[in-house]
Order: sequence, then C-alpha cells, then structure tokens
Amino acid sequence: MSENFAERWAELPNLLSGHVLLSLAAIIVGMAISVPLGIYAASRPRLAGSVLNIAGVIQTIPGLALLALMVPLLGGMIGYWPAFLALMLYSILPILRNTIVGLQGVDAGVREAARGLGMTASQRLWRVELPLSLPVIVAGLRTSVVWVVGSATLATLVGASSLGNYIFAGLQTRNWLSVLFGCVFAAGLAIVFDQMIRLLELAARTRRRGLAGGVGVALALVVGLSVVPAMIPASSPAAVSATSESRASTGPATLAGQTIRIGAKAFTEQYILAALMQDVLEDAGATVERRDNLGSTIAFDALRSGEIDVYVDYTGTIWATVMQREHAAERHLMLAEMTAWLHQRDGILTLGRLGFENAYGFAMTRARAAELGVTSLADLGPLAGELTIGGDPEVFARSEWIGARDTYGLGAMQTRAMDSTFMYGAVRDGQVDLISAYTTDGRIAAYDLVLLDDPAHILPPYDAVILLSPRAAALPGLAEALGPLVGAIDGDAMRGANRRVDLDHQTPIQAAAWLADQIGDQ
Amino acid sequence: MIEPPTTVLEARQVTKTYPGDIRAVAGVDLSLERGQLLALAGSSGCGKTTMLKLINRLEETSGGSILYEGQDIATLDPVVLRRSMGWVMQGDGLFPHYTVAGNVAIVPRLLGWDEAAVTARVREMLELVRLDYAEFAGRYPDALSGGQRQRVGFARALAGKPDLLLMDEPFGALDPITRDGLQQDFMALQTQLGFSTLMVTHDMAEALIMADRVAVMRDGLIVQSGTPGELLKSPADDYVAALLETPRRQMRRIAELEA
Repeated sequence: MSENFAERWAELPNLLSGHVLLSLAAIIVGMAISVPLGIYAASRPRLAGSVLNIAGVIQTIPGLALLALMVPLLGGMIGYWPAFLALMLYSILPILRNTIVGLQGVDAGVREAARGLGMTASQRLWRVELPLSLPVIVAGLRTSVVWVVGSATLATLVGASSLGNYIFAGLQTRNWLSVLFGCVFAAGLAIVFDQMIRLLELAARTRRRGLAGGVGVALALVVGLSVVPAMIPASSPAAVSATSESRASTGPATLAGQTIRIGAKAFTEQYILAALMQDVLEDAGATVERRDNLGSTIAFDALRSGEIDVYVDYTGTIWATVMQREHAAERHLMLAEMTAWLHQRDGILTLGRLGFENAYGFAMTRARAAELGVTSLADLGPLAGELTIGGDPEVFARSEWIGARDTYGLGAMQTRAMDSTFMYGAVRDGQVDLISAYTTDGRIAAYDLVLLDDPAHILPPYDAVILLSPRAAALPGLAEALGPLVGAIDGDAMRGANRRVDLDHQTPIQAAAWLADQIGDQ
Repeated sequence: MIEPPTTVLEARQVTKTYPGDIRAVAGVDLSLERGQLLALAGSSGCGKTTMLKLINRLEETSGGSILYEGQDIATLDPVVLRRSMGWVMQGDGLFPHYTVAGNVAIVPRLLGWDEAAVTARVREMLELVRLDYAEFAGRYPDALSGGQRQRVGFARALAGKPDLLLMDEPFGALDPITRDGLQQDFMALQTQLGFSTLMVTHDMAEALIMADRVAVMRDGLIVQSGTPGELLKSPADDYVAALLETPRRQMRRIAELEA
C-alpha cells in the first residue's frame, strides 16, 4: 500500500502540471473569445440568440465525445491540442451566457444616465456596464472553471496528461487509491480556483488592492507549485530512476539521446507491457515518455501520425477495425497480411508476436455452464431469450459480437455494457449469465470461469504484436532493444502479470518487473 | 463685446414619430430665456419627456429643428452636446458603483479637468446642495435617503457648469416635506448660479410655484404657454382649466380649515 502511495505521489508533479496547464489555457482562451463576443452580442438580441444556441449545442455534447471528435478533426493528432480545443469550446457557454445576461440586466435608468451625461459608447461599457455586470460575468467564469477542471480528467483518453490518468488507470487496475488521488486533486484544484476567482471579484468590487494582490500572489503560487516541479528533471519517479540506474551499465546504450514515446490503451495488460518496454528502452539509454489510457483507435491513429513511437496492439483488432476485414483468417496468414498491409499503407513496422494471445472470448462460471449444459457458443442459441450478456461498451459494436450473434442466433440475448473492470465480478455474482472476456485476464482462472468453444471460428485470433511508427522503425537500435521481448511472453506469464495487478493489488511497474524476471529465467 | 443671445433654447415645429405612425411630439414650438425656468407640464403620455430627450439627443427628431445657443443641435456631436447640458432624470440615475464624490465628478472628468479642479468642484457642489463633504463624499448611493440622492443628482448635473439644465420629474419620488425643502433650495441655487432650466413635471402646483413660464402639453402639442399668472387668469381650454383646478381646490380647502 505504501509503495502504491509512493508511486502515485511520484506521478503527481507531471499529472498536476498537465492538468493545470491544460485547464488554465482553455479557460483563458475561452474567456478571451466569449467575453468580447458576449459584449458584441448583448446589444443585438437576434445575434445573442444564435450564439447562445450554438454554444448551447456544444455544451450538450458529452465532454468525452467532444474530446474524441477533436482527434479526427485535427488529423489524428493526440495529446495537448485536441484536449485544449475541446475544453476551450466547453468553457465558452457559461461565460458567454452570463456576459450577455449581465450586460442586458444593467438598470435601464443607469444606462440612460450614462448616455445623458455625455459618455461615449466605450466609456459607458468600461465605466458603467462592465463594472455593474461583473458579478454575473464572474459567476459564469466560476461555472466554467469548475466544468473545465472536472472535464480535463477526460483529456487522458486523448493522450493528454491530466489527473484523469489516476482515475482511468486506477479504474482499469482496480487501484482505488489511484482513483482517489485523481478525485481528490481534481476536486481540490476546482475548489481552489473557484474560491480564488471569488476573492478576486470581491477585491475588485470593494476596491481592496491588498486582497487582490494577496489572491494574485496565491494564485501564482498554486500555478507555480503545480507546474514548476514537473520541469525539474530530478523529480522523476525515484523508484524508476533507481532501477534504471542499476541496470544502465548492462545494456548497450545505443539509444542515448533519443526520446521514445510509448503508448498504452486503457487496460491492465497495456500498462504492464508499456512499463516493461519503458524499462527495456531506458536500459538502452533512451528517454521515455508515456501516453497512457489511449482509446483503442486513438492509439493506432497516434502511431500512424507519429504522436507515439511504439505500442502493443492485437492482430484481430487491426484486422477488424483498421483493415475493415469482415471475416477472420488463419492466424499466420492474418499476421503476414497485416504486416505487409501496415507497412505498405502507413510505413508501420510490425516487430513480431510477443507470444501470447489476448482474444475476445465468451465466458461463464463453471457452475452456470454445467447447470445449462453449455460448452460452446452453439449451445446458447435455444437459450438466448433467457440470458443476459455483459461486455465492455466497445464489444457490442465489434464484428466479434455481431458475427457470433448472427452465426449462433444470439440476437434475443439481453446485452449490458459496463466497464471491463466490473464485468468479471458481474458474471461471478450472477448479475449476468456470460461476459465477453479477454482471454489473458487473470480473473478467468481466479473466478473459475470457462471459455465457450467457437466451432464456427467466428472469433479471430488476437496475437499481441509490437508496432513501431515510421520514425521509430528507422531509428537504429530501437528494434534491437525491443527484440528480446518478441516471442518471450506466453499466455501464462501474461495472465500471471495481469493477476498480480487485478487481484493482488500490485502496481503495473511491480508486475512489469516480475514479468521481466520471468523472461530472464527462460 | 458681443452680448450672448438672450434665448438659450428654441424649438421650431419639432415632431417625433415612432414606427407604427405613433406621433409622440406633433409640432412643438418652445423658447427658453437665459436664467429662466420653463416648466413643461401635462398628464402622463402627453409627450413631454420625449420632448426633453430630443433636446439632448437621447432621441432624434423626426422633423423641425432645435437651436441651442443659436446653433442647430443636429449639427453638433451628441456627446459634446450632452456634456454641455445638465441632466437630472426621473428616479435619480446615480451610478451604484460610484461614491457620491465619484458621481458628482463624472462630467468634469469627462470634460478633462485636472484632478485638483475636479476635487475642488465636487466639494463646492456638495456644499451648494447642502450635503456635508466629509460625511457624504465617500458614501455609496445605497446609503443615502431619497432626498439626499436627489441632491447628489443636482450636484452631478451642475458640476460641469452647464448653461442649460434639463430635468425630468426631479421631485416626483420624494415625500412632500422633502420635496418642498428641495424646491426652495433649487430655486435659490438657480438664482445664485444663473443657469437656465427646462423642467418636465405632471404636478401643476410645482410648475406654478417654480416656473417663470409654463407650457402645457397635450397629445404631443403645446395647448397653452405663458406665465403662471396668465395661465391662472385665462386658461386656454377645459384641459388646462382642469389641470389648474387641483391646486386651486386644495388651496381653498386649506384656507377654509384655517378660517
């Protein structure tokens, strides 16, 4: 537990600064757009109606969807900019609305007095209308700040570092301390910013320069404390630097001076493999940056555009979602065809199979399967109307489920989408009858689940492969450094490592170290 | 040396028509002599407030012309024009986020006076409207009584040393005792400073007591114009007679009670 805390603590400077820089920039730019727009629109009722409608529509798009949309809009770019753009758009409505409402709400008598005394339009704006609507505008700003700081946790999923890394990684690895870290710091940050803006407004209204100065200094201090530590290299996680130093002498430092970006999708196995590759590459002298918690297709797009250099994907996934093939192929043919296709179209290098497969399979508890007399998917057809299947939100849109459903006549089955963390527990406790399991998950053995046969070979093979971006493929030494991992991790080793995180509450770094020892023993 | 013209303000056949062919002002002639107070009286909706706003161009005329110090106001910059006229509006129109001193200093600051002159003027104006500088200068309007707010309104309107003061129901929201005191103070102030005033009011007694001349308006037209004595002696029609009847009846009733 304390090691878990130390690891989380070591991640804080990087994640906190990412979060602060992202949300502050989004709010400042959002304000620079929405306040002038609100001023312009306030005296033009028809324009005010239209801009409020547009901003309102943006606001109703769920934060996650807006973030995800920015990736293709920016040509597959992941990381800071799509997250910034989405959050900036998100911040506009409350400020814009309150600017318009605040200005329109200034007392008509006061407005007329300002004209009658001989103020010009800009004097009326700056000396009378803005000061009198300031409390309303600031209220909008505070709403925006709370929204943006909260939504910035979702930026994790498009590859921008934020406190959301704690939440998503913690959810996937059942590390509740990590989830708690993310919640506490994100909420704390929102409260601190909100209160500071409140005090700044109070200072402006009551003309207390001392208070304004004090809050300004405090705000600068909070931003400074969040951002500066991340820029000092000495603050990199102590545990990691200790291990890489001890091994640095053994590996040939062929990657010295190179920065390699490793991507990972949002589940346990991916965190462990990313940590393992990080260890290997740092041994070879490279500086490693991590982009964790990427959405499945976002990870591939990021590799293609060079936002990340290397990550682990699965043949069946690429086959179905990238190559858009409808029918599965024999595993060796699939790997060969995929390797050629990726190289030809995108210049992506497929380094080779890691040695295990993480397929989609359909799993039931041994007891329930015996009770129903089920051993294969073909046995489920007649029972489909009485059964409920749980799965991650992705699977029900994928060809695996659609293919199996149509082939085995499972259309009458009730489907329940949930986060993959919870589905194993759900089938164990009988809340659903079967689930779409990942075949390497440690909980299959631990919960005594059985995988159902697929006599029609609908489910494609999912061999784990290391993919390199075109830039990484051309880097001398990179393929050599990762080479020893190819063929070195079998299904049992991967399940063991996954189990250490999902059930034994170890961290992915600890599990990666264990996995490295297994490889070394072979 | 050229004498300034004795007529400060002159309106010639002024009209104001709103969309939908609504005629608020339907051909008004007015003239205000220097140092005098002209009351524009009439019941609600007769067009008197609109007429006032045409003079400092808060509204634009649809026809006719208005001369201020001999110049057609349509040829002047409205902002410059407004700064050269005082303006006391219905309610008080004080800026709630400015102190009393800040409110009084608005026009001098807009005119670009240096700060020492502004401060001296604020002090002088508050003394003229009989508000103690030390006590009131730093207060905000929401900490003043209705009478005090209206005194600040006068001080603010006169701070820029205007030749002409426009007032729209300046005593309308005050209780009778405060109103009477303020009316007396205002007349003394006008005698002392020598500015000219156009005052809109629906209170005929107020018009008779304060004005040098009274113009009675009805449905966008002037129905009678003259000194208070002329009006009382020979009202032009039943409407004017009815307006005069209210203060007369009150006077008679009070005289009977005192007898």
